[in-house]
Amino acid sequence: MSAKKAKLPEPAGIQPLSVDMRKLTRVGSRPNFLDYLVKLWDFRQFIFYDARARVQSGTRRDRLGSAWLLLNPIFNGLTYYLIFGVLLQTSRGIDNFVGYLVVGIFLYQFSSGAITAGARSIRNGKAVVQAFNFPRAALPLGANIRELLSAVPLVLGMLLIIVVFPPAETISWLWLLVIPAVLLQGLFNLGIGMILARVIARVHDVTHLLPFVLRAWMYASAVFYSYDRFISDPTLLEVMTLNPLFNVIDIVRSCVLYDTLPAWESWASLACVALAALLVGFFFFWKGEETYGRD
Amino acid sequence: MVGIDETLFLDGPPCVVIDKVAMTYKVESSNDRSGSTQGMKGVLRNVLGRSNRVTVSALKEMSLVVERGESVGIIGRNGSGKSTMMKLISGQVAPTEGGVYASSTPILLGVNAALVPELSGDQNVVLGCLAMGMSMEQIDEQFDSIVELSGLDSAIYLPMKSYSSGMASRLRFAIAAAVNPEILLVDEALNTGDAQFSSRSKARMDELRAQAGCVFIVSHSLDTIRDMCSRVIWLDKGELIMDGSPEETTELYRDFSAHLSKGNNISATRIKDDARANLVATQVLERTTGRRTERR
Repeated sequence: MSAKKAKLPEPAGIQPLSVDMRKLTRVGSRPNFLDYLVKLWDFRQFIFYDARARVQSGTRRDRLGSAWLLLNPIFNGLTYYLIFGVLLQTSRGIDNFVGYLVVGIFLYQFSSGAITAGARSIRNGKAVVQAFNFPRAALPLGANIRELLSAVPLVLGMLLIIVVFPPAETISWLWLLVIPAVLLQGLFNLGIGMILARVIARVHDVTHLLPFVLRAWMYASAVFYSYDRFISDPTLLEVMTLNPLFNVIDIVRSCVLYDTLPAWESWASLACVALAALLVGFFFFWKGEETYGRD
Repeated sequence: MVGIDETLFLDGPPCVVIDKVAMTYKVESSNDRSGSTQGMKGVLRNVLGRSNRVTVSALKEMSLVVERGESVGIIGRNGSGKSTMMKLISGQVAPTEGGVYASSTPILLGVNAALVPELSGDQNVVLGCLAMGMSMEQIDEQFDSIVELSGLDSAIYLPMKSYSSGMASRLRFAIAAAVNPEILLVDEALNTGDAQFSSRSKARMDELRAQAGCVFIVSHSLDTIRDMCSRVIWLDKGELIMDGSPEETTELYRDFSAHLSKGNNISATRIKDDARANLVATQVLERTTGRRTERR
């Protein structure tokens, strides 16, 4: 390096310039919360196009193509059936264990897939974030709509298995209640995904922890065992009923398998937790709007 | 340094105001002076995020006001802060101090940003245009001209990941050039691609420049800068050296580089210092009332 550091001379003068700034906005600034939601609405075509294009391209490399959207959870369900139903016999005390298991696995897969996709959306979309100016919430939102779209064959496959495998259940009007339950679940996924998206954009290490947390969540949601067989402590049961995934699974099971109207408490708990997660998620994500895509 | 007492007033709203903007990066250095990066100590420092960090000052504090109708060329050596300046104006990075204000969203016409590699070229065109805020009808209208500008023909229906880097950057440019931005930023975009593409892109650039409210151009080609710009800014090591007419500024800069390449560092530095000593820097005073009242 040079021996002496050359000092740059000061400018000859400083010219004060009065400028009308009223029509200008700061570049890259975060609009207020309501404006942000309006702006997001303006980008709805972008969000839907992004979601649709990626659903189609997601399985393009595979010979069976979109069939994997259905085959994947079926194989998954089969594995759990062999391990927990046949080998470990957790099925004792549950009639129609195949149906019971399939509802749990398929709905868990929807949540874990959507939360993972939402959480990674900002990191994975870094190139798009840096290239264009759009409300960043479009990315986790698009990822979740994408997951919701691929949940349609998932849920249809789930119902098909329940109808076909013995003991076959009969189709009733109650089955329609699956739709609002899954939609509420989707809102919850979106909220959690947005919180994680901001966290992961800042601390990437969290992606490594995510699978473990999701796995633990699955075990806590009575996916392949009957919770009343293991849990007798009333406070623990209280906590359990706050778990939105447990509630969704419970609601769908009672509609589809037991042909009974789900308890209103389950609906209330699910709706409250889902909406709260959505609100907190949006707000938390919006707070970090200016930081995404920057290192 | 003397302050000039008399305040100038700018009629009408400007296009871009850069107000006391400074930019420093914190980067990890592989230069291992402050201790080992291996072992427990290193891991701990990594976890705390304090590993061998060096602060690099990319842009020193500066203010600029650019009016409608101006096209500003930015010249300087490598590492002088030209690209940082463009990123700051486009909003890709936030300045560590100060703020950039603009009358509408500036569009950076670069070739660096990638799109979504899994999607095909035509899907990327639609996606990119939607991301810039265009409507589906506008995209349908422009789609053919975008494909034509990119010169990709039927390759537009292949996935982006199968593209060569030249093809990808041509598509990237064609997408960014699809909107008619009020504030246009061009970062070396003219220098990519083969001869055929560069003449096509130059034609499109001229069109855009004619329509845009103001243009910023970064280029190493001084001839390009002199032909296209009405005002040229010379940056060196993050400092503003000169802000003047294209002829004067490019002439001095050419002189400076000539001396440098001959190894005459001292005379080169003298040229630079002289230019800097004649610089009249700007101080931005925000006028909130409509009347011309002097504040402060």
